[in-house]
Parts: sequence; C-alpha cells; structure tokens
Amino acid sequence: MRKFIVILMVVLIMTATLTAEEITGLQIIESVYNRPTGQDQEGDLTMTLINSRGDERVREIKQFLKDFGDMEKKIMFFLSPADVRNTSFMNWSYDEVGKDDDQWIYLPALKKVKRISSDSKSDYFMGSDFTYDDLGDRHPSSDSHIILREETVDGEDCYVVESIPKEEEYMYSRTITWIVKDKWIGKKKEFYDEDDDLLKTLTVKEVEKIKNYLIITYSEMHNVQKDHKTTMILKNIAIDTGISDNKFTERMMKRGM
Amino acid sequence: MKRTVLIIMLLVFAFMLDAQIIHRGFVRTYLGTLTEQDGEYSVLQNTFDWKLDYGKGDVALFVNPVFDYNALNNNLDISLRQAYMDIYFDNFDLRIGKQQIIWGKADGVFITDIISPRDLSEFILPDFEEIRIGINAVKFDYYLGNSTFEAVWIPTFQPAVAPRKGSIWYINMLDFMMPIVYDYHNYDVGNKLSESEIALKYSYLGSAIDFELMAAYMWDDNPAMHIFPQPDTTLLIKTEYHRLPLAGASFSKAVEGAIVRGEGAYYFEKRFAADDFTVNGIREKDYAHYLIGYDHNWFGVNVSFQFIQEYILDYENDIRNDEFSNTMTFLVMEDFLRETLRLEFFTYYGINNKDALLRPKITYDFTDGFEVQLGANIFIGEEGNFGQYNENDMIYLKLKLSF
Repeated sequence: MRKFIVILMVVLIMTATLTAEEITGLQIIESVYNRPTGQDQEGDLTMTLINSRGDERVREIKQFLKDFGDMEKKIMFFLSPADVRNTSFMNWSYDEVGKDDDQWIYLPALKKVKRISSDSKSDYFMGSDFTYDDLGDRHPSSDSHIILREETVDGEDCYVVESIPKEEEYMYSRTITWIVKDKWIGKKKEFYDEDDDLLKTLTVKEVEKIKNYLIITYSEMHNVQKDHKTTMILKNIAIDTGISDNKFTERMMKRGM
Repeated sequence: MKRTVLIIMLLVFAFMLDAQIIHRGFVRTYLGTLTEQDGEYSVLQNTFDWKLDYGKGDVALFVNPVFDYNALNNNLDISLRQAYMDIYFDNFDLRIGKQQIIWGKADGVFITDIISPRDLSEFILPDFEEIRIGINAVKFDYYLGNSTFEAVWIPTFQPAVAPRKGSIWYINMLDFMMPIVYDYHNYDVGNKLSESEIALKYSYLGSAIDFELMAAYMWDDNPAMHIFPQPDTTLLIKTEYHRLPLAGASFSKAVEGAIVRGEGAYYFEKRFAADDFTVNGIREKDYAHYLIGYDHNWFGVNVSFQFIQEYILDYENDIRNDEFSNTMTFLVMEDFLRETLRLEFFTYYGINNKDALLRPKITYDFTDGFEVQLGANIFIGEEGNFGQYNENDMIYLKLKLSF
C-alpha cells in the first residue's frame, strides 16, 4: 500500500511538472504579440505589387511608430506613386480588448485631416495583398489557438499554431502560423478563406537584429488563388531614437515628414 | 503681362535652385460636352498644375503655378493658386502668403469652410482644390498636445468668383421688366487694415472625438444688390459687399465602426434678396446653416450621407430664399482591381425644389500616376440650385498624368 502511494505521488508530481512546462497555443501567440520591438521605430517601407504576369507596381512609405504603454501610434507618409504623394495616414491602436483603432487620413487635395472608419480591416492596403488587419497586431484574445505540431523550417524549430477567429464574420476562417521557438517570431503564415481553402501565404524572408530586437525586414504575401504577390521591404530602420510624441498629431499629418 | 513675367521669373528661379526643389503636380486634358445641346463642347481644357516645394531648416516654400489652356477660346490663363512660406517653431507655425485654408468636417458643403472664397465660374463642378481661391493671409497655428489654436488674418478681401455673363452657368438674378442702372461706387472693399478679415479656430483631434470651434469676422463673399426705384422708372442697383460675422463648430466621431459628423454655423445679419423695394430689395437676417453626416464601409463599399439645413431666422415672406432649405448628399464609392478602378456616385438632392445633381464617374489607373476618368453631371428639376441648370447635362473625359 505504501509502495502504491509513493508511486501515485511520483506520477502526480511528474504530471504536474509536465503540465507546467507544456506551452499552450495562446501562450505562444501571446509571446509573439508581446515580443519587444522597442519603444519607437521608424523606417522606409517599400511595397512591390507583382501580378501573375510579373508586372510590378511600387509603393513607398515612410513610417513612424511609438508605443505609449496602453496604445500604439503609427503614422505613415506616402512618397510614391506620384498621385498619392504627401498623403498621410495615422492609426492609434489600443491594448484594450474590443476597442477599435482610431484612424485618420490627410489628403493633400482636400487639405484636411479626415477621420475614417476602422471597420474596413478586411480592405486591402493600397491594392496590395496585405489587408489593414494583416498589417496590425491582432490581439491574441481575438482567436482560439491550438498547437498542431512542431516542425523544422529552414533549420529552425517551430511551433505550428492554428488560430480560429471567435468572430463569425471574420475574413479568414482560420490561420496557421509557424513560430520559431524561443525567438517568438513568425516564419510563415497561411490564411484560409471562408470556404476553408488556402487564400494567402505570408513568408518571412529576412529578419534583422537591431539593438537586440528582432525585426522582420523582408516578407512576401502570396495570394495563391489569384497568383498575386506583394513584397514588403523595410529599410533604414532606427529603433529607440526617442521619437517625439508630437510626431503623431494632426500637425505632422499636414506638414509631412 | 505682369503675371506672365512673374511666372517666368519663378520658373527661372526654380531651375536655379533645381537640385533642392521638389517638383510635383499633374498634366490634364479635360473634354466636356453638353448632351442637351447637340454635343456642344462646354470644356476643352489642358492644364499644367505645377507644385514646387523647397525647404531649408525650419523654413519652407511652396509655390503652385497653374497653366490653363482653354482650346474653345484659344486662351492661356496663368495663375498662382498658392504661393506661401512656412516658418516652423517648436510649438507654433506661421504660414504667410497666398494660401487655401480649409475648415470643417463637411464634404462638398461650405458651412464653417468660409475662409477661402470659391471660384464658381463653372458652378461646383471642378475639383474642390480648384474651386477654392487662394487668399493672401497670415496663418498662425499654436499646438498644445492634441489641440491646435489657429488664427488667420486676411489683410485684403478676396470675393467669390461668379460665372461670367454669357457662360452656361450664369444666372440672371435681377429679372426685372424695368431698365437697370448699376452703381459700383461702394463695390470695392478698401485695401486697408480696418477692412481686413480675422478668423479664429480651436481644434482637437483625439481618440474620443475630433472637433473644431470657430469664429470669424469676414466679408460676405457675394455682394448684396440694393435696389432703388428711380422717378424715371429705371432701377438703380447698388452692389455692395457687407461684413458677415459668424461662429460655428464641427465634430467627427467613430460610432460602432461608422463615422458620424456634424457641422453648424450661425451667421449674423446676412443680407438676403427680397422683393420689397421699401427695404431696397435686401433684408438683414441672422442665418443658421448646419449638417449631420454619416460615413460607413459596407462590405468594402464606402457609403456617405449628409443632411443639410439652412434656416433664416425671423423670416419675412418677401425674402426670395425659403425660410428652411433642405439638401441631402449621398456618396457611394468602391475600388476594384487592386485600387486601379474606382466607381463613384455622388448626388446632391434639393428637397425644397425636388432638384438634384447626379455625378457618376469611373476612374481607371492605367499605370501608377496615369488615370483616365469618364463621368457625367446630370441636373434634374426645373428650379433650385441644381434644377436651374437642367439644360447643362454634361459628360466628360479627363486624362491625368501625375508626376
């Protein structure tokens, strides 16, 4: 009997230890969400839209973002093509669950800053393969996450996590993300449409370590259904330079960089 | 001639500083034809809109010469839409020179947006950037967090531009049987400090709401026609501009994924045309102009509604305008083919006169920066702001290359 109790205790302790060490899908996605990327960041973003014939259209943007604790502010200045030059876009996103982003656009022809609806997250950004939601940080609590398996991609050990949106009308039925263990950075992501067919694949092609932060500098979104691609390259990145709070204001939207 | 020399000097200056100047703008060909008039051309215009930016430290220069060639009368019109200098300080900016100043939250309706007068020589059909006339002004902006205090001083009055006589947009407001004699002695507003205009605005942009509060001591951009019947049965008409003080506010707020906008202004002692000659055909009345708007994106389609009301207080029956004038606007817009194709339909509907202006258009970007636009302006009704142009239905084609 005493032997049985000892064995039972050992089994219970082992089970408890294993449970404590076993990571959940939610924890992985939270680790990615919370991966430090600095207090502020600026960089030059180049998006190249490539259609199935290989024709390219290029969009150039200068962007600044800053973490204000419970919110993140981002401002983008459009440099090309010529007909959108001097347009600017500002987004304030909040950590608070369920709180919508605030968004404004400045159109130089109208000469005024206009608040726009943030309810169009499924719209494609500047005709690219990225939706507004793809470009933002989706809160982990918006989806249910499960670990499908573990895989090695390009020599890096990854968790493969499936995320199913809690919102019924969301544009994707599910996503599958390959996340590098310990680095908490995405390697690849698949987006499935409402019929559960593969719609898009996001591939992270380059990651740079800048001031000890891991920053994705080159990625590609491929719409496999339309065979259309968008590459996104981030250059001239500067982190924690102390960007002024005043950068994220109506004044700067009108004035430009 | 002087203007041409000035522009040429500007060009020479621009090329001298070429390395430091940023050039942008567009070249556009615009062809419009009247469908009710056997396809008569109403517009045949080539435009070169050139924008030059130059900056050094905390000082910047912006010049916007516009070259409009009208092929219908073989006329080249050269103008400076804007030409100003910006001086930036830590917490405030100064903008000095000819500039367009836009206030308010309304789209396509002018309520608190009264700083830059309008060029209505082609009614309200040109792009708004081209309707607004640049004014000589000093603009001061002081920034405090998300708040901005703006003060504008306009030393010389710039009136609105009305359609010239003979234009399809000209409306004869004085349809009398008697012969008319005009007196322009009081027509011009003097170029002196006491005749200048001042406008103040406080604006806030934040998470909960964006809003503006404004007050201004302006001139009415349109002259009043004071009518004096003469013993010899002629009518003497004295045209005169009058002061127009006003105060107003506007806001914009996100509500359940949509945007709700509002704007209103109260004008003091605005002059209205009246039939009673004992008051010389003019009555001074306070006047309110306000709007509520709603913007939403439904399944990728941008939809916007606005309801606008104008109200003449202490109304008298001989005033030619209605006591209440109600107008609605409706906009629906969608992009296709990765934002290279845009369909847009904008409508003004005058409720009082059951008249409307329908403005469908389709724009296609052949390549980045080169677009082709096909559109129509369709006037419906017999009277009212839009119905009075019932004969002016137009289809048009614009080719535009931006650089």
